[in-house]
Amino acid sequence: MDYQNPDVAKVAELLKSRLNDLSNKADILRAVELKALFEGIKLLPPEQRGAYGKEVNNLQNELKGLVAASEDVQVSLLPIDLSAPFDVNVSPSKRPHFISNNLGSIHPLMKELETILDIFYRMGFSAVESRQLDDDYHMFESLNFPEDHPARDDYDTFMTTEGLIAPAQTSTMQNRILQMHKDNLENGLPIATVIPGRVFRNEDLDARHEHTFYQIEGIYVAKGVNVGNLIATLQTFLQEYYGKQLEVKTQPYYFPFTEPSFEFALSCPFCEKKGCNICSMTGWIELLGCGMIHPNVLKEAGIDPNIYTGFAWGVGLDRLVMMKYDIEDVRYSESGRLDFLRQFS
Amino acid sequence: MKVSLQLVGNCQSSFDVSRFNADTISGLTDKIAAQLGAVDAVTDLAQKYQDSLVVKVVSCEKHPSADKLHVCKIDDGGKFENIDRDENGFVQIVCGAPNVREGLSVVWLPPGVIVPSSMDKDPFKLEAREIRGVISNGMLASASELGLSEDHTGILEVDDDIAKGSNFSEQYRLNDFIIDIENKMFTHRPDCFGHLGVSRELAGIYGQSFKSPDWYREDPGSLTVTGQPLELKITNNLTKEVPRFAAVTIANITIKPSSVQIQAYLSRLGIRPINNVVDLTNLYMVITGQPLHAYDYDKVSQLTNGQGASLSVRYPKDGEKITLLGGKEVKPSSKTIMIATDSQAIGVGGVMGGSETEVDDQTKNIILECATFNMYSIRRTSMELGVFTEAVTRFTKGQSPRQNLAVLKKVSEEICQASGGNIASDVIDDNKDLPTPPTVKLSAGFINERLGSNYSPDDIAQVLMNVEFEVTIQNDDLIVVAPFWRTDIEIPEDIIEEVGRLRGFDSLPQSLPIRSIKPAAKDPLLSLKQEIRFQLSKLGANEVLTYSFVHGDLLDRMSQDKKNAFQITNALSPNLQYYRTSLLPSLLEKVHPNIKSGYDEFGLFELNPVHNKLAIEQSSQVPIEAQHLGFVFAANSKTAKSQYEGASYYQAKQYLSTLMFSLGVSAMVEGISDPNEIPPDLKDVVAPFEPSRLSGVILPSGDLIGFIGEFKPSVKKALKLPDFVCGFEIDLGKLIGASPSRPIYQKLSKYPFVEQDICFKVANNMSYQAIIDLVWNEFSNVEGGVVLRGITLVDIYQRPDDIDHKQVTIRISAINYERTMTDAEITLLLDQLSSVAKDKLNAERI
Repeated sequence: MDYQNPDVAKVAELLKSRLNDLSNKADILRAVELKALFEGIKLLPPEQRGAYGKEVNNLQNELKGLVAASEDVQVSLLPIDLSAPFDVNVSPSKRPHFISNNLGSIHPLMKELETILDIFYRMGFSAVESRQLDDDYHMFESLNFPEDHPARDDYDTFMTTEGLIAPAQTSTMQNRILQMHKDNLENGLPIATVIPGRVFRNEDLDARHEHTFYQIEGIYVAKGVNVGNLIATLQTFLQEYYGKQLEVKTQPYYFPFTEPSFEFALSCPFCEKKGCNICSMTGWIELLGCGMIHPNVLKEAGIDPNIYTGFAWGVGLDRLVMMKYDIEDVRYSESGRLDFLRQFS
Repeated sequence: MKVSLQLVGNCQSSFDVSRFNADTISGLTDKIAAQLGAVDAVTDLAQKYQDSLVVKVVSCEKHPSADKLHVCKIDDGGKFENIDRDENGFVQIVCGAPNVREGLSVVWLPPGVIVPSSMDKDPFKLEAREIRGVISNGMLASASELGLSEDHTGILEVDDDIAKGSNFSEQYRLNDFIIDIENKMFTHRPDCFGHLGVSRELAGIYGQSFKSPDWYREDPGSLTVTGQPLELKITNNLTKEVPRFAAVTIANITIKPSSVQIQAYLSRLGIRPINNVVDLTNLYMVITGQPLHAYDYDKVSQLTNGQGASLSVRYPKDGEKITLLGGKEVKPSSKTIMIATDSQAIGVGGVMGGSETEVDDQTKNIILECATFNMYSIRRTSMELGVFTEAVTRFTKGQSPRQNLAVLKKVSEEICQASGGNIASDVIDDNKDLPTPPTVKLSAGFINERLGSNYSPDDIAQVLMNVEFEVTIQNDDLIVVAPFWRTDIEIPEDIIEEVGRLRGFDSLPQSLPIRSIKPAAKDPLLSLKQEIRFQLSKLGANEVLTYSFVHGDLLDRMSQDKKNAFQITNALSPNLQYYRTSLLPSLLEKVHPNIKSGYDEFGLFELNPVHNKLAIEQSSQVPIEAQHLGFVFAANSKTAKSQYEGASYYQAKQYLSTLMFSLGVSAMVEGISDPNEIPPDLKDVVAPFEPSRLSGVILPSGDLIGFIGEFKPSVKKALKLPDFVCGFEIDLGKLIGASPSRPIYQKLSKYPFVEQDICFKVANNMSYQAIIDLVWNEFSNVEGGVVLRGITLVDIYQRPDDIDHKQVTIRISAINYERTMTDAEITLLLDQLSSVAKDKLNAERI
C-alpha cells in the first residue's frame, strides 16, 4: 500500500522491515512509532486530521493483515486425505456423525414463508425471490417515483457508493415481473406472481424496528381486474392462512405505484375481535399495503393500462411470525442465537 | 395532519360538528379511516377544560403578608358547586400575576381541576390551600397554564362580554376533538393540508354537497388601497421553480397578541401563537393549506437601494449565508430558491424566512407574501438544510398556484381588521403561465370495470360534484374538470380513486378473479432452498438469518478484499457498512456467542445471496445476486474431545456429502490443485479457508461451485472460534433447476449377496478415492453376472512406527445374478484385485 503522508510512509517502511525479525509478530502492533502516529492526529489542525487519520488507520490495518498472514504461515497442519470420509486411526464411535435431528430447525421466518408460498401456489400464483441490491430505476423510477419526488421521503433507503439501492420493498421487482410475464396476457392468462424477499430500511434498531426484514409482494394483472377482486383475493388468502373466517376492511392510503391505494386490515384472528394485546385492544390488525397497479407502472413495463388492470400488495413476514408466536423482540430474527432458533425445532 | 373538528365546522356550516361527543366521535373517525386516511390519534379537548370557568375579578387587594401577591374575590355567577363563598357569593383566590386587577374577565381553575397544560405530562390537581395564611380556592390561569401559548407573564385576559360562570371551552370552541390523520395519505393531496379541504372531503364522504366560502375562488377581486402607498417591486428570476409570487403591502399596523379565539385555534393544532400578523398567516395556512410569509416592510426597505422596498427571487450568490427565523445560520446550495432585496438574501423561499426582516413588536408596516414553490425544489432544500417547517410540509405536496390571490386578499383584510392597518399597495402578482386544469374524459363503464361497481353516470357525477368537481355527462361519458385546488387530478384513474373512496371501497361487491386451471410454475430457486432447509434441519443443523451487511474489519480479518464489496454510504453503523461477499464470515461470527451461551456443538446454515463488484450482470448492469448456502459446524473443546477424533474437515464433509446425496447431486469434493484457477469472485469465498484443509466442490460438469474445509488460524483467532470448527459454502446457481440424478435401479437377484473385507497397505499420501476408483473399475471388467453393489470404508489405520504408510480396510459387497456366489469365488476376485492394486497403486494386501 502506498502512503501519501511522508511520516506514515516512513514508519510503514520501517515497521514492515522490522516485522521480519520479530519472533512474536503481533508485537509490531504495539510499536512506539505506530503509537506516535496515532498521537500525532490530535496535534494537527482539525481540517487535516481526517486524511491523516485515515492513512494511519490504513497502516494499522495493513500491519494487522501481515500479522494474520504470518500466523497462518507459522502453523503447519499435518496433511490429510481430503478424499476420505474420515481421518486415520479414528475409532468408529468418534467418526463424523450428525447431531440429533431433534435439535435441527428451520428459521421461523422461512418456515412461515413456505406455508404462505404453498397457499399462493395453490391459488395459482408463481413465485420468485426479490433482489437484495438493486438500481434506482427498479426501486423508484419504474414505480412512478420521479427523481426528488417527496414520496421518496417515506423510504429511507441504504445506498452504495455506486448509487445502487438496498431495496426498501419487494416492489422493486414489479417492473421485472410484469415484463417477464406480459406474454401471458396475450395468451389470455393472468400475470400472477408472489415475490418474497429481504428488504432494508435505514432506521435505528429497537424491539419493534429492524433495518432488515422480509416482505411478500403479490401481483395480479389481467383483463377486467377490479378493486373487489383485490379485496376478495387478500381475504381469501388470509382466511386460508389463519384457517378461519375473517372480516377485512380497507383504509385509503397513498403509494405512487398504486391508484387507488389502501391499507388492509383484518379482524384479529387471535381474539375474534374481542381485543387483545396483539391487536392493541382494537379488534383489528393492519397488516398490509395494497392497491390497483398505477397505469404508469403498467405502461413502463409495456402493458396497455386501457386493456389490462391489476392489483399488487406487500405484507411483512416478520410481523406475521411475531404475532403467531408472540415474540417480544424483532431483533431475535437475525441474532443467530440458538436459544431462539432451537425453539422452532 | 391535525384536524380540529371545530375549525372544520367553521368551514362548512351544513356539517354539524356539535353532534359528535365522546361517545359518538368514533363513528366519524371510523368513517375518516375508511374513506379519507388512517387516524393516528383522537384527542378530546373538552375534557381538558371541563371545569375551567370564565369569571369576573370583583375585588383585588394586596396580600397582607406578601408583596407580590393579591387577594381577589371572583364572581362565577354561583356556577361552581361545593366551594366556600363569602356573604356576596364570591370566591376568594390568591393571585401573583402582575396584571390582575379589579374588573378583569379571567379564567378560573377551581379546586379539584387538573391544570390543562399539565394534563398530558404530569397531571397537577388543584386544591384549596393556604398561601401565606390566606385561603386560595384554585387559581386564575395564564395562557401557558391553559396550554394555549407559552405566555406566562400574567393571567389570560378574556373578552369582557362573556357571561360570568360560562364554560371557558365553550366560549372559545375548545370543546373540540383534534383528529390526527396520517400525513402519508395526503402525500398527493395539497388541499387536505388545510381544514377547508378536509371539510370538503367529510361532506363528500357523508354524501353532502360542499360549497367553498365565497372568498375562496380563483379570481377574488382586488383590494382597495387607502392612505399613503408603500411602494413594492417584485422581480421573479425563477419563474419555473416559483410559478407564482404574489405580495401586497399593509401600513400602519399595531402588533399585539391575537384574540384569545385565534390563539386557541392555533395552539390546539400545535402552532405557537406569536402576534396578530403571524398568527393570521398561520391560521389561514391551516385553513387553506397555503403558507404565507410576512416581512417587516421598513426592514426590507432599509436593505433596498433607492425608494420603497424590493423583493427578488433568485439563486444564492457564491458563499451566501442567511440567518433564519430562530437564529440558525445556513449556507444554501446553488439551486436553493432565495428571496432577496437587492443587497442581500432575506429568506429561503418556501422553507423559512430570515431573522433580519422578521415582524416584531415594533413593526408598523409589512409585506405579505403568498407564493407557490416547486415541490421538488422545496423538498431538496429542506433536506439539504435540515429545516422542516409547516410550510415545507405543505409546499412539498404541490399547492395550487391558483389559490394565491384568494388567500392573500383574505389574510390582508383580516390583518387590517385585527391590527388597525390599511392596504398600501395593489396586489403585485407575478403570474406567468399557470397550468390550465386538466379535463379528464372517461366513461362510467371504465370506472365500474375497475371498481367492480355498477354506478350510473348520474351517481358518479353527483359524488364528484359534491366535492366541487365540474362534471358534464355526454351519453355514457363523463367530462370532468377538477377544481383549481386539486393539482393531483390528471388521469382517469385519479377519478376512479375519488369515486371509490367517496362511495366507500368496502361497500364494493367482492369476488375472486377467475383464472385458467393451468398450474402455476414453482420457482426452482425457492424449491431448492426449501429442500436444503428440510434436509439440513433433519441432520440436526439450525438455519440462521444474518444481516446482509458486515463490518469492514470482518472482511479484513477474513482476508477478503474490501474493494470487491459494495459499500453503503449511509450505513447505520460501521457494523453494517459493506454488502458481504460470502456467507461464512457472518456464520462464523455467530459461533463464539453460542458456544459462550453453553451450546456444546451445533451446525449453523444460511441461504442468502452475496454480492461482489467483480460479478455484474452484463445485460442489466445490476450486480449478480449469487445465491449461496453457507454451513458451519463447531464443537467446544470438551465435546470435540469426547465425540470426535481426527480433523474437523471430515465433519463438514459428512454434512455436505449427505446433503448432496439427498439432493440427487453427484458433487465431487477434491483438493484444489491450482489456486489460480479459482474464478475472481470466488476468491473472496475461499479466503477464510485454511489451504491445507480445503477442497473444492465440483459438479460432474466440471464447474467449481464452492469450498469445504477448516479455517485459517488467523480467522479462528479473530473470531474466537473453538479448535473443532469447519464448514462449507457453495453457490446454488448451478444447482438451481438441475434435474436431480435419478437413483440407478438394479434388478433384484434371486441369489444372496456376499460381503468381504479387504485391507491394503498404501503410502500415506495415497488417496482413498484412488483406491475405490480402482475397485469400481476392476469390478466393471468382471464377467459372468457379477455386480459390485457397493464399497464401505471400514477403517484407516496407521501404525505408530510407520507413519509413511496407512492400512485402508474396505468392505466389498457383490452379487451374482446367475448363481449363488461362493466364498471361493469372491476370494478369487479379491486376489485378482490385490494384484492389480499392487501394480497400479503399489498397494500391499494385508
